[in-house]
Amino acid sequence: MVARPSRCDPNRLKLLLENRLAAHARADVECHLDHCDSCRLQLEGMAGDAQWWAEARQFLRPHADPSGSPGSLAVPPESPADPVEAPSPAHGRRRRPDFLEPSDNPAFLGRLGPYEIVEVIGQGGMGVVLKGWDAKLHRYVAIKVLAPQLATSAAARQRFAREARAAAAVVHDHVVAIHAVDSAAGLPFLVMSYVGGTSLQERLDAGGALEAKEIVRIAMQIAEGLAAAHAQGLIHRDIKPANILLENGVERVKITDFGLARAADDASLTHSGYLAGTPHYMAPEQARGEHVDHRADLFSLGSVMYVMCTGQLPFRADGTLAVLRRIAEDAPRPMRQLNPDLPERLVEIVERLHAKHPDHRFQSAAEVAELLGRYLAHLQQPALVPMPPQLPDRSLASRCQRQRAWRKAALGVLLLTAVAATAATAWLWPGGAAPPQPDDQETAQGIPQDRAAHRQAPAPASVLQAPFAQWDLLQEEIDRAKRQAEYVESHFRPSSQYAAAPPPVDPAKIRADLERLQRELSSAGP
Amino acid sequence: MSFAPETRASLLARLRCRHDEEAWAEFVEIYEPTVYRLARQRGLQDADAAELTQEVFVAVASAIDRWQPDPARAKFRTWLFRVARNLIHDSLAARARRPQASGDTAVRALLDEHAAPSPEESALFEQESRRRLFHWAAERIRGEFHDATWNAFWLTAVEGKEIRQAAETLGLTIGAVYTARSRILARLRQIIEQVEGGR
Repeated sequence: MVARPSRCDPNRLKLLLENRLAAHARADVECHLDHCDSCRLQLEGMAGDAQWWAEARQFLRPHADPSGSPGSLAVPPESPADPVEAPSPAHGRRRRPDFLEPSDNPAFLGRLGPYEIVEVIGQGGMGVVLKGWDAKLHRYVAIKVLAPQLATSAAARQRFAREARAAAAVVHDHVVAIHAVDSAAGLPFLVMSYVGGTSLQERLDAGGALEAKEIVRIAMQIAEGLAAAHAQGLIHRDIKPANILLENGVERVKITDFGLARAADDASLTHSGYLAGTPHYMAPEQARGEHVDHRADLFSLGSVMYVMCTGQLPFRADGTLAVLRRIAEDAPRPMRQLNPDLPERLVEIVERLHAKHPDHRFQSAAEVAELLGRYLAHLQQPALVPMPPQLPDRSLASRCQRQRAWRKAALGVLLLTAVAATAATAWLWPGGAAPPQPDDQETAQGIPQDRAAHRQAPAPASVLQAPFAQWDLLQEEIDRAKRQAEYVESHFRPSSQYAAAPPPVDPAKIRADLERLQRELSSAGP
Repeated sequence: MSFAPETRASLLARLRCRHDEEAWAEFVEIYEPTVYRLARQRGLQDADAAELTQEVFVAVASAIDRWQPDPARAKFRTWLFRVARNLIHDSLAARARRPQASGDTAVRALLDEHAAPSPEESALFEQESRRRLFHWAAERIRGEFHDATWNAFWLTAVEGKEIRQAAETLGLTIGAVYTARSRILARLRQIIEQVEGGR
C-alpha cells in the first residue's frame, strides 16, 4: 500500500485527531497505525486519559434507563425500561427548543416560519421532530428540523436533503406525506403530515402479539407503502415498528422516517450504509455490508411480522455484533413455538420473507401486498373467499432446478430471437448494418432475479439527484402530496382530540414559569 | 471541525451570565432527566416529578450567582443535587400538608436546612449525571460522523470488542478503527468539557 517507510510522528497524530489532515496524509497515518503500537497508544492518550476511556465504556453501555432517544446510538436494551426509571415522554415535550421564535399565542411553545409549535414529538441524532399548527390550512403538521449544531455540517445537510427528496418522491396512502421543505432561522426543515396515533412499537409494547387479521392487514399496508417507494427506486432501509405509524381511529399504516433511505442507484453508497439502522430488523446483506436492494426491506418486513406474531424479536443477542451475526447466520426461533395458534399460511409467508438470500424471498413488495390482500379477504370471509394458492415450493434444490429450467428456456428464446433478428437484418438491410440490439432482453428472461421488473413507472432519478435549484419536479410532487393530504383530511374525520382547538394548557404553564424567571432575573439586578 | 482551545466559555460560566438562553436550554436539556429520575425515585408521580423538576431549575436560575466556583467547596453538580434533594423533601412534606407547594419552597431549598445527603446518595446522583452527560454528548455528535466511523468507536470502546474483529466486520483497516475511536472520544471529551469545565 505505502511505498515509502512510514515513521512515527506525534504532530501528525495530533492533526489526525483534529481531522485536519488531507486525505492522502490521513491514509498514510492510518496505514502507519496498522502496525505501530506505540503510535496507537499515543493517539489514544491524546484523545483522553484512562479515565475518559473507562467512563465512555461505563456510561455509554445500554443501561436500564435510556434517557436519550432509543435506537439512534446502539442496540436498545432487550428488556423494557423500568417504568419508574424512564422519564415520561410528556416531560420531554415541554422543553422549548431554543431556535424557535416567540409566539404571539401563549398556548404555543414558539414559532418556526409560518408554523406555531405545540410540542416536541421526538428527538434523534439528526435533529428534532416537532408538532406544529398550520394556521392557513387549519391542521396539525409534523416538522422535522435539522439540529442547529449540524446545520453547518455539509454531510448532515446532504443527508437531510436526501431524506427530503426521498420522502417527497413517494406519494401513497401508506407513506407519511411531505408537504413542504422550508427553512427558518437558517435551519432547513421538512413539513409532513401529522399522524395522530401510536407507532406499531408503542402498540406492541402496550399489548404484545396481535391477532392474525390485524397482522395481515398491517403487513399488507406496509407492503403497499413499500411498493410505492420501490417503484420510485427507493429503498427505505430502516423498516421497524417504531417507523410504522398507526393512524388514529382508522388504524391506517403510515411508513415514516426515510432518513436512511437511499436511491437504489445512489453511487455514493459505500460503507456508510452499514449499521445505519436498528440492527434488529436489518437484512443479512445489510448486516454484512453487501450490496443492498429493495428486497432488504422485505426481510425487515418479515422481522416486523415476526414480532407482531410472537411478541418477540426474531434475532435476540447480547450486543450489536452478536445480533448481526445471528441475522446473517441463524434461523429465528420457530414462530409456532412462541404462538401455537398462528395460521400455517402466515408462518410460511414470514419464513419466506426471512430467507437469508434475497433471491429466495418474494421478489417485490407489490407481490407481497397482493398475496396478503387475498389472504386478508379470506380471513375476513372464509366461506366466500378461498385461501390464496399454496406458495410455490421454496426448497433450494427445486428452486435451483426451476431457475436452470428458466435459464435454458430463456437462452433458447434469446437464440431464436438473435437468429431471427440476424436473418431479418440480413434481409432488410443487405448493406450489413448492425442489427438493433434486442433491449427486451430483460423481459425475455423473466427470471425472478431480474430486479428491474419491479419498477412499474420510469423512476424519476432526476428528482433525487437534482440540486435544490430544480424545484419544478419536486414542487409537483409536493403539490400532489398536498392535494392528497387535503383529500384525506376531508374524508377521514379526526377524533375530537385533534379538532381545530388550540392545544392543552401545559405549554402555557411553562411559558408562565419562564416569564416569571425572566422577571425575577431582571429585577434581581446585575 | 477543529480542536481549537475552547471557543465557547464553559457552560457554567455562561449560566452565570443568566441571559444566555442557549446555555440555559442546554443545561436544562442535560440535567432535567437526571433530576426527574431522582424525584421519581423518591416516590413522586410523573406530573409532580415533572413540575418539581421545573421548580428546581427555576431555583437554580435565580440563585446561580450565589454559587462560587471554588475547588474547595462542593462541585456544581453536588450543589444541584442538594437543591433538587431539598426541594423534593419540601415538596413531599408540603404536599402532605396542603395541595400545592408555593414558590418559597424553592428559596428555602437553597438554604442548608436539611441534613447533608449521604455519600452514597451524592455518588449515585453524580454517576447518573455523568451518565446522562455522556449520552447527551454522544447524541449531539453522532451526526458528525459516518456510520462506519461511529460503529468502529462503539464496537471497540463501548462494547469492548477486539479491534481486529471490529475491523473485519466493518470492512475497515486496523489503523482506521484506531483513528475512528480516538477521534470520537476526543470529540466527546471536548463537548463534555465545554459543559463541565474540565474534571
